[in-house]
This record gives sequence, C-alpha cells and structure tokens, in this order.
Amino acid sequence: MTTPLELGLLVFILTCAVATALLRDVLGSIIAFSAYSLAIAVAWVFLRAPDVGLTEAAVGAGVMTVLFLLTIAKTVRPSSDRTLERVDLPALAVSVALVAVLATTLFALPAAGAADSAVATDDVTAYYLDNAYEETQVKNAVTAVLAAYRGFDTLGEAVVVYAAGVGLLVVLDREVFA
Amino acid sequence: MSDDPVGTEERAPYVESPIIMTTVRIITPFVFTFGLFVMFHGADSSGGGFQGGVIVGTVVLMLGIGFGIETTRDWIGPTLPVVLVGIGVFAFLATGIGSVLLGGGFLEYDVYPIKKAFKYGIEFVELAIGLIVAGVVTGLFFVVAAGTRDTGGDAA
Repeated sequence: MTTPLELGLLVFILTCAVATALLRDVLGSIIAFSAYSLAIAVAWVFLRAPDVGLTEAAVGAGVMTVLFLLTIAKTVRPSSDRTLERVDLPALAVSVALVAVLATTLFALPAAGAADSAVATDDVTAYYLDNAYEETQVKNAVTAVLAAYRGFDTLGEAVVVYAAGVGLLVVLDREVFA
Repeated sequence: MSDDPVGTEERAPYVESPIIMTTVRIITPFVFTFGLFVMFHGADSSGGGFQGGVIVGTVVLMLGIGFGIETTRDWIGPTLPVVLVGIGVFAFLATGIGSVLLGGGFLEYDVYPIKKAFKYGIEFVELAIGLIVAGVVTGLFFVVAAGTRDTGGDAA
C-alpha cells in the first residue's frame, strides 16, 4: 500500500520537523523548516492535491523562508556550543499528550483514497464533478468550486490577505509598504 | 531610505554578487511568466490566483535579494503594492456586486453580456486575487526588511 518512496518522504518530513524544533542555530532551523515545507508540498501531490501542493511550495518553502531569513538578519546569533537545543521534558510531555488526544480522531477518518469515504460518495462532490464543466466552462473543478460555486468564501479569503497587509501597516504605523 | 545599499549595518546585509545578480536577471522573466501562467491557467489546470500571485511576488523578492532591497524598493516605489492590493480587492468586489446589480446572484457570471462569461469571469477574479496576493507578499517583504524603525512614516 505504502511504497518505499512514500515511506521515505514521510521519514524525511518527520526528520525535518524534529530538526526544525531541535536545532539551536536559527539559520539551520529555518533551512530545515523550508525543507519540511517542500516535502509537505510533495506529500500533497502524492495525495492528488496539486493545487494545495503548489500553494505550500510557493508560500511555505519560498516566501516564508525569505521572510524568516530577513527577520533573523536583524538578530544576533547565540554562541552555539551545542548543535541541538536542550529538550524541555515537561513541555515535551504536554506536547505528546496533546498529540495523543488529537490522534484518537485519526481512527474516525477513512483510509486515504478509500472509495467509500464521504468525500467520494457525497452528493455535493458528485454534483460538482458532473456539472462543473457545463456550468462554468473551466476544466479544473477546484477552480470552479473556488471562484464560482464558493466565490463568496474566496472573496473572504482574498479580503483576509488584504486585511493582513493593512493590519501590519496599522501596527507599524505606516501608510505604505516601505 | 536613501542610504547606500552596500555595507549598511542595520539593514538586512546585502552583498553584491555577480553570480546572484546574473542568475536573477536571467530567471526573473521566466518566473514572472510562470506566475502569470499559473494565474491564468488555473481555470484549466492546477493553480490559480493565490499560487500565481505568490510566484509573481517572488519575482520582487528575487530582485531584492539580487540587487538590494533598498534599490528594489526605490525602483518599485512605496505606493505601488498598496495600489495593486486596493485595485485587486475592488475588482473582485465589483465583479461580485456587479452581477447582483444585473439581476443575478453574487458572482453569478453569466449575467454579464460576454461570451463564455463564466470562464472569463473566473479568469478575471483569479487575476484580481493574484494582484492582492502579489501586492501583499511584496509589501510584507519590504516591511519586514525595513523593520520597526521609523523611516519617514508620520509618527502619531
């Protein structure tokens, strides 16, 4: 079911995530985070969600890395005698407990790609797949849902991005991005 | 704002590198075209306004890294990102409200009297989203690079 390639990808994602959390050098941490985002983007493509993968690769691996690098350019490097951060055991215990509680919901999910999952058998999904091309004349059903059937939601998303930019300007007391 | 891009202490450190400058100069047109492709072709393949907008915004980030952030900001001008974001939001809103005024639902494109109204309406909205995202990405880059120091903004 899981090919060695997928297994390797998952191991790589986990390694990058742990490295991001544990590396003491912030620059190394950011590079590990960038690799993690890129691997997650590949994972989305494995899960047949290329639109999400494209977003993750562009935003997570590309823009966020540049913004993080710009931010740490204004900080000083700690004198790094160790490579890895010391693990805070109580915090680790809380994190593991939280993940364990959340992981109980995993058993309620259908298997990835299962034919009888609600995603595949739902009437709304069937309607979109049957009628998206006739009604909207676009071949990508994801775009049809985003910009036509759920256009109002997408307006909300676009305005959230706009509001984030405006909010940053207000916080920094500027009127232009400079 | 107008200090020299090389060797400034408090700015993001900029090192003039012919390799980076040449690379940026060569690949920038392709990345820009790819961003526009993702934006316009989102209707028929993967992609769309959000992804394409980020890629177009990345062009500015690359220019900033290659030629210095201050230089790039002076070249683009401080108001252009704000104007782009404003135009994007306004175009999206106008498309939606316009279809309501013409007697349809919100973003019901086929009330517009053009051929293949849905297809071109969706393309137009994707373009508007791309403007918003590209403008905000560019603006975030400039703002984060400038930091919290007051550079000419009117202090309240």
